[in-house]
Order: sequence, then C-alpha cells, then structure tokens
Amino acid sequence: MKQAPMLSSAFLHPAGQTLPEPLLALRKQRASLLVDMPLPTRKTENWKYSSKYLKLTDEMAISLPAEGKAGNSLAVSGYKVVFRNGILIPEASDYPDMDGITIQSFSDLSNEEADVLALQLGSTLDHDQAQFARLNGARFDDGLLVRLDADAVLDQPLFIIHETAADTSGSAFPRIFVEAGANSRITLVEEYTSSGDAPAFVNTVTEFTLADGANVTSIRLNMEGESVQHIGATGVVQNHSSRFESHCVGFGGPLRRHDLQVRLVGEEAETKLNGVVVTQGKQHYDNHTSIDHVAANCNSEETYRNIAADQSHAIFNGRIHIHQDAQKSFADMNNKNLLLNNGAEIDTKPELEIYADDVKCAHGATIGQLDEESIFYLLSRGIGRRDANVLLTMAFINELVSQIPLEVVRDTAQIRLNEFFEQTFQEI
Amino acid sequence: MLSIKNLHASVEDKAILKGINLDIKPGEVHAIMGPNGSGKSTLSQVLAGNEAFEVTSGEVTLNGENLLDLAIEERAREGVFLAFQYPVEIPGVSNLQFLRTAVNAMRKHRGEEEMNAAEFMKQAKEVSKQVDLDPSFLKRGVNEDFSGGEKKRNEIMQALLLQPKLAILDETDSGLDIDALQVVSNGVNALRAEDRAILMVTHYQRLLNHIVPDYVHVLAGGRIVKSGGRELALELEERGYGWLGINDEDTSN
Repeated sequence: MKQAPMLSSAFLHPAGQTLPEPLLALRKQRASLLVDMPLPTRKTENWKYSSKYLKLTDEMAISLPAEGKAGNSLAVSGYKVVFRNGILIPEASDYPDMDGITIQSFSDLSNEEADVLALQLGSTLDHDQAQFARLNGARFDDGLLVRLDADAVLDQPLFIIHETAADTSGSAFPRIFVEAGANSRITLVEEYTSSGDAPAFVNTVTEFTLADGANVTSIRLNMEGESVQHIGATGVVQNHSSRFESHCVGFGGPLRRHDLQVRLVGEEAETKLNGVVVTQGKQHYDNHTSIDHVAANCNSEETYRNIAADQSHAIFNGRIHIHQDAQKSFADMNNKNLLLNNGAEIDTKPELEIYADDVKCAHGATIGQLDEESIFYLLSRGIGRRDANVLLTMAFINELVSQIPLEVVRDTAQIRLNEFFEQTFQEI
Repeated sequence: MLSIKNLHASVEDKAILKGINLDIKPGEVHAIMGPNGSGKSTLSQVLAGNEAFEVTSGEVTLNGENLLDLAIEERAREGVFLAFQYPVEIPGVSNLQFLRTAVNAMRKHRGEEEMNAAEFMKQAKEVSKQVDLDPSFLKRGVNEDFSGGEKKRNEIMQALLLQPKLAILDETDSGLDIDALQVVSNGVNALRAEDRAILMVTHYQRLLNHIVPDYVHVLAGGRIVKSGGRELALELEERGYGWLGINDEDTSN
C-alpha cells in the first residue's frame, strides 16, 4: 500500500525565540506531537474535496521575516493591531490602554501571564477536525492576547490586520486568543491580506472564550492574493447567556480553508454564523463549520452562501451536534450556492447529529444558477445583461453583506466584489 | 408605430402563433382578447423578446426598425415595455435600485445624464402615489411578498417611470379586485398619450370598461380571427366566443 504523505520535518522548526519561556515550552511540546503527522488526502473525510489544492513545499516551511511591504488593507482610523508575517508590529499598531482590557502581544507577556495563557491555548478547538491548528501550535512566532474583565466594553471595534509579505517563499503562523469576561463586549475584525507573489503559507488560529453574558462580534475578511495558501481555524466556547456573532467574507485562492468550531457549553447561549464565499478562475475555498450544542436551551443560526465562477471550487461542510442533555436546542442551518459557470464546482454537506429528543433543528442546502426568468424581467426593463447578472449575483449575498455591522468592512468587501463582477461578467 | 406581419412563433417546436397581422398607430389603444391557449401571452412575450419562444417567420417593426433583430434590453431601450402577467420576485434587489438601474440604462441609451439617488427617489415617490403604492414598497425587494394587486400596480408604476413608446399589458386585470382594478386602470389611462401605443391582452372584457380601447381583436388558434371597435368586446361579453366558431369552455364572464 502506498504510504500516506507526511508533513515535511522542515515545518517543525520554529523561528522566533522572543516568546516567554512557557510559550516556547508549549510550542516545543506541540511540535513533538507533529512528528509523522500525515497530510490529508482525498481519503481524509474532512479534506476530501480540498486535499488536491494543498501544495506545501519545503521552501514554504521557513518563517517569513517580520518585514517587507504591506499589502492593501482596511483603511481604519480606530483601534488597530498589525501583524506582518505572524509577528505583531507595535509601531504600525494603535490600541487602547483601558481599565479592564488587556491587549498585548504574546512576546510582551510575563512568564506568569504566559503560564496562564499556555493552559488556554488550543482549549477551544477539536484538533482532530482542525488538524492544522496543531501546526500553528508548534510554530506560532507571536500572537495577540485580548482579555476583557467582567463588564468591560471595548468602545470601538478592534481591527487586526494580518499582512503576509511574500517577497520570498515562506510561512506565517498568526495566533489570537480572546477571553471575554462576564458581560463584556467586543467587536473584533480580522483581515488577511498579502503582497508579493512568492508561494506562501498562512496558518492561523483564533480562539474566543465567552464567559456568562459576554457578547462578541467577530468579522473575518479573507483577501489574500493568488500565491497564498491559507488554512485557518477559529474556536469558540460560549458560556451561559453569551452571544457570539460571526461574519466571514472570503475570496478564493489556490487553497483556502477555514474551520469554525463553536461549543455552546452554557445554557441560553446564542450563536449566529454568517459566511460569504466568492471564487473565480481556478480558485478554491473550503469552509468547515461545527456547532456543538452541549447545554440545553441554546440557539444557533447559520447562513452561508457560496458563489463560484469559471472553473473554481467552493465547499461548505456544516456540522451540528446536539448532545444528549441539550434539550430545547434550536438550530437552523442554511447554505445556498450559486454556480455562475458550467465548469465551476460546489460541494455542500450538512451533517446533523442529534442525541436529544426535544429540539428544533432545520437545515437546507441548495445549488443553483442565475434565474432565467429574473434575467428576462431585468432585461425587459432595458437593463443590460452584465448589469442584470451583477444585480442578481449581488442579490444572492446582499442579505449577508448588509448584516455586517461595520461600514468600512462592507465597503472593502464591495470593492473586491466589484472587481469580481468586472472579471466575471463581460460587457456584451 | 407597431407593425406585425404574418408573425409565426413556436415554443419547443409547437407552433403557437400562426400568422399574426396587426398595425397600431401612435395614440391608439388596442385590446387583444381570446380564450385561454389562443396565443395572447405568447404574442406579448415574443414582442418583448423572450428567448424561450422562437420566431419562425414574419416581421415586426417599431417605427420602422426591425424589432426581431434586437436583444431584449435593446427593445426595451427602443421603447417596448411589457407589463408581466406574473411579475418576477427578486429578493435581495430593492425595487428602488432596480428601477433606478432601469431608468438610467434608458437615459444612457438616449445620451442623457444618469439620475442620482436623491433625484430618482423624488420621482419614484411621485409615481408610486399615482398607482397608490406606499413609498415603502420602493425599499422592499422587487415584488418580494407583494400581493397580486401590488405586483400589478408595481408594473404600471414602472411603465409610468420608463415612459415607453409601446406598452404591452399582459392580463393586467387578472387577480385584481374591483378597487385595485380601478387604481391600475387609472394608471394605464395616465399612460395614454398621442405618441404612445398601448396593446392590452385580456381574457375578460371588464378591464375594457375602465380603459376604453380604440380597437378590439379576437385571437384564436394563433391568428386574429376578428377585429372591430369597442362594441366587439361588448358583443363578446354577451355572446361568448362561440358565435365566432371558437370553442372556449373557460370563458363564462
């Protein structure tokens, strides 16, 4: 039998040594678990549509230096943390010093603080489902810790800009940990961008723990370029009456993978996950989401839309697991997909596991094309074919884009969407 | 204005229109009546350019220009407007955005400046009043969750905004109660103009009590079998289609 390919040992050597001792030790311990880590193949269930897009070479194993030209990113005037190639850049960042709120780079933590964090890192994720979160655990060179004490409210959104400057081949392993105390509140935006066209690999982990009554809004904008392979994981643990809202907007690339795992462990927690993916050319994007209703009386609502043009490939896998004690759970998952060309491919798979008997659980998935009758209606009013296509494609995701609570993010996404329309729908 | 000569059309190789001849002059209102399946809606769709129908022979000109050579949107820009029997719902596109895109496409075609959002809003509000639609309908998705009557009023509102040369009204009276019929009819009557032709397609004559046509044509089996004035519609109401040798079980008025 053919041997499954292994992760090259070149990936097991971290670069940065600026982290406090407990985190260096953690990294070393995680790396030891990665020896002989098999790479996913098409026989790996949660990678079966995506393994063929994963192309890691030894040249990409080395950590990219924390310098280089920045790519285009959100023009923001508020709180901002800039990571370049996984390293926090203090001089480009501007974040508040507020009572009850800690915003700090991993490198600046004391050994005592790092000891506490070391116990928390990775605790929100099922690493068997998000295998590459392990690699981030072994390789992160820096990271951002955000702690909100009970009742702390960050008065403006915090933008975290991840720039990959890929002038040469290499990797970046940014990491974020957010601990939201009881009844605290934060809106956090992660943007991933890149410059340069050397093959690069970005491997991220973002974690959120929400104490009772905490309210977190997370926005994730994936805008990296054509030379970047991106595998990211987000883990969320929600306690009693907490509320988590996520808006993921992603544009395709050679490989794009995001695992989003939410565990509702306290009663009356609420989660809302929205996602929009747009792919074109030969691009790829794979969203794997997972919601665990562990406690009773929780609500989850998930809406994802994929648009695939040309010969691109989009994947949605939505898992909902309702545990035995999670009575009175309400879960609603909806995934709609739009194929703009015959050569495009979309795979969607809802996975429901329900072990409680008193639950309301709904799911729906559709794949379709632009509606001919609607096009005829628009054309019959003098609207050109290109504009009609754009209107209807935009209509497919408008509901989700309009729910993004920040105008600057909506505008940034819209500019990128307009480029997509420009390239996808030619003037006739 | 509109000249149709020996028009034949089919759908999926089934012949529906079998030689239509019709001339409409500016300012005239023509009604086409006929039983179900006679080809009334097909005629409307073919004139608007629906590609599901194939024109197998014949000629259609609008002000001398060959309509059949034009794409759907080009016909619209030349002044053809079809009020749909079943207007399409398009969630996610606001009525306002849809209408402004349409109006601006027309203006661009005529070499005029595009209208900005504020200018357009003002005009759209005025027109929505004419068909008794609350301006809140402008913000909703195109026809999304509109009642049957609201959809028909939305169609007439579009005609009033786009000011076509030829307005084709396909069963605009169907599904309307008497009050809605009055509102829609007022809208259509507001469209009547010396330089505009109106072609109404209807199964029943009750619409013609509100919008009085200059000519009435009876369509059956894909051909116009009888033409006359207003009185023809009244005669059809009284006598049904049977006296014309047309079998129509559905027509009971």
